[in-house]
Amino acid sequence: MAEDVHKNTEVNGSKQPFPTSAKSFTAEDEAALTEALKRCSPATIEAAVKFRKTGDPTPVPTVVIGIIERFAEPDQRARLRGADDDLRLIEDLGVDSLTMMEIVILVEDALQMSINNDELRNLRTLGDIKTFIDCKVRGLPPPKPSRFLPIEHIGAVMPIQPPFLFLNEATIGSSSASAKYKITGDEFFLKGHFKDNPVMPASIMLEAIGQLAVLFLIEGGHGEEGKQADPQTIYFTGCEGVRAHRICKPGDTLTISIKPKRLKMPLATIEGQIRVGQEKAVYVEEVTLTYGFREAIVQPVPVAAPVAASAAPKAVHSLPAAAARVISPATA
Amino acid sequence: MSKVYITGLGLITSIGNDLAGITRSLRELRHGFEVYPPFDKPDVPVKVVGTIKEFSVDSSDPEDWVFPKKYSIKREILRGLAPNSLFAYCSMLQAIGDARLSPDEVANPQTGLYAASGGSPFLTHHYHERMLKVGVMRTSPLGIVASIAGTLNFNLVAHFKILGASCGFSSACASSMHALAFAHEEIRTGRQQRMFVVGAEDCNTDSILPFAGMRALSLQTDPNLASRPFDVARDGFVGTGGGAVVVLESEAEVARRGVRPYAELAGWGQASDGYNVAISHPDGVGLHLAMKLALKNSGCAPEEIDYVNAHATSTPIGDASEIKALKAVFNTPGTRPAISGTKALTGHGLSLSGAMETAFCAIALREGFMPGSAHISQLDPLCEGLNILRATVAEAPKAVLNNSSGFGGANVCTVLKRVN
Repeated sequence: MAEDVHKNTEVNGSKQPFPTSAKSFTAEDEAALTEALKRCSPATIEAAVKFRKTGDPTPVPTVVIGIIERFAEPDQRARLRGADDDLRLIEDLGVDSLTMMEIVILVEDALQMSINNDELRNLRTLGDIKTFIDCKVRGLPPPKPSRFLPIEHIGAVMPIQPPFLFLNEATIGSSSASAKYKITGDEFFLKGHFKDNPVMPASIMLEAIGQLAVLFLIEGGHGEEGKQADPQTIYFTGCEGVRAHRICKPGDTLTISIKPKRLKMPLATIEGQIRVGQEKAVYVEEVTLTYGFREAIVQPVPVAAPVAASAAPKAVHSLPAAAARVISPATA
Repeated sequence: MSKVYITGLGLITSIGNDLAGITRSLRELRHGFEVYPPFDKPDVPVKVVGTIKEFSVDSSDPEDWVFPKKYSIKREILRGLAPNSLFAYCSMLQAIGDARLSPDEVANPQTGLYAASGGSPFLTHHYHERMLKVGVMRTSPLGIVASIAGTLNFNLVAHFKILGASCGFSSACASSMHALAFAHEEIRTGRQQRMFVVGAEDCNTDSILPFAGMRALSLQTDPNLASRPFDVARDGFVGTGGGAVVVLESEAEVARRGVRPYAELAGWGQASDGYNVAISHPDGVGLHLAMKLALKNSGCAPEEIDYVNAHATSTPIGDASEIKALKAVFNTPGTRPAISGTKALTGHGLSLSGAMETAFCAIALREGFMPGSAHISQLDPLCEGLNILRATVAEAPKAVLNNSSGFGGANVCTVLKRVN
């Protein structure tokens, strides 16, 4: 049976061309695929067979999630089903780096692709993996890897500083960003908000979403190659569709995430949300910031070149003017 | 110098997977041999294996394996195991229970683990084949740690959180005796308070059949005749696998914990043949010297030894060398220790055999019997003058000598003494 199918493919190949994606998927391949995925759900196997037969990338996320699920400890599988793209495999799902490799090897095997070590290192969240695999199967260049930024980095680049900085750590991707903030109870405003009942103000949570958007812009999320958003130029202009769902109190860890909706200097509009664990806390349809670029990127300058050295301060001095320019549309 | 005691045992063997069953098999001389289905081929003249019951580990995928439910093992542990490390893992759990050790007593800087296995030729073959077939980047990330010879120490040290000394020993069929000997040394010199000594081997075509090439395996098709050390018609060894764990503890730990040891591991000795890569010296010179050194090291005269568990694999040449060596050591008039080869029951467990037979000696010392040498219908005339036990004797030995020899002419012997 298996041999017949293979033979037919070869014999008929020239007269009745198959779709390119289907040309090599024989019954033996299907048997091998089913065997490789034997500990995955039937839906996963079905999706993988469909992809391999048709080349249609639609079922690919099902395959990837199904394979991750197969390797997750049984008590973690429920988390995976309801999870959004911010779920981190290692930190949240308890998958170790060796299991991560097992996942990748099975994904490679099932989808017939190769993932190299550098690419593997960059896959931290469910969203990273989905996007990465999607680009791969579509033959697109892989997205820029998301980067983890510790508090030291955030503190060094942000124009906003403690005690008014509400990001402890952040992960910046090419088209999204997420961050964590743990409410310690020592925040100065909690003394009065409310009396004997410390509750994180919704306005501050909105601020945290805005701060993540600022960080996203500074870290190049505006998407314009070779340009740097100037921290001194970024201001809030407006927001819409804010809904608060959950009271957040000291001890809660806020998971803040944003996605850009429109990005065109001088305006950046993002969608944002905050969760505590799996519970939705705040959702905002749109937050809009204004921003501007640095006029010139300061290049490292050889010490022996006094002319070039004096150019650097000049670029810095010109920044306030740029800031004034981009503020005006927002205030108009 | 601290005395060293055996305080716990764990065994997965062809003659039983728990101490009660194994003790009964040793007493009643019940063997663990079966005609092995994978050898049922016209081009395989070897037919009999000392099979491991209750375990089904023929798949290269550990998640397919079937083993007794009382050993619950998480996938993240299982994925790095070979059949031999699974046997060892289960033996470890048994030994920890048998020695009544708490998790803190297992995981501390004063407790170490020495191990010996030949690795898993079966999984090595599987992973290499897969590498050639699907590419180097798609082989299991755990393939190496599951299959190479260090698989026992890698896995057990990590999973049981061992913080003391750890390493593997590689001297073929003397490996786990070397492990035992050097573990003894760690405790005697005060470097460690407690040592786990582990021996294990796969029990499958890839681990056993390569020995057919050197004509070392018995071609007997009858499981009741295949392994018969000291018999004139012996024609080779019968392969087996399994796991054995021996817990050694210092005098101070035994007193502190108030446990009753199986036996004292009194001392050991080793010497080499310097003769041939695979054949033992015809006069057993290395084994002779190793026995003498072991006796000296444990402060025992030859006449104090009541029982010898011989290496006795049932090969024509190997048994003959050992017989000559035994005659040379026990040559004073009136010195006739009882001698038997328990490989007549279990088969030859290769790296595993030293630890396994040490455990058998410990059982014999505690339970007060000396197992017979099974399946002898006509004793090799070469044994004239030696007291080869033909049946089990319900008599408690006071001191026991245990022999083992490996390729290259490595010989290690230990002396165990009864604890009153």
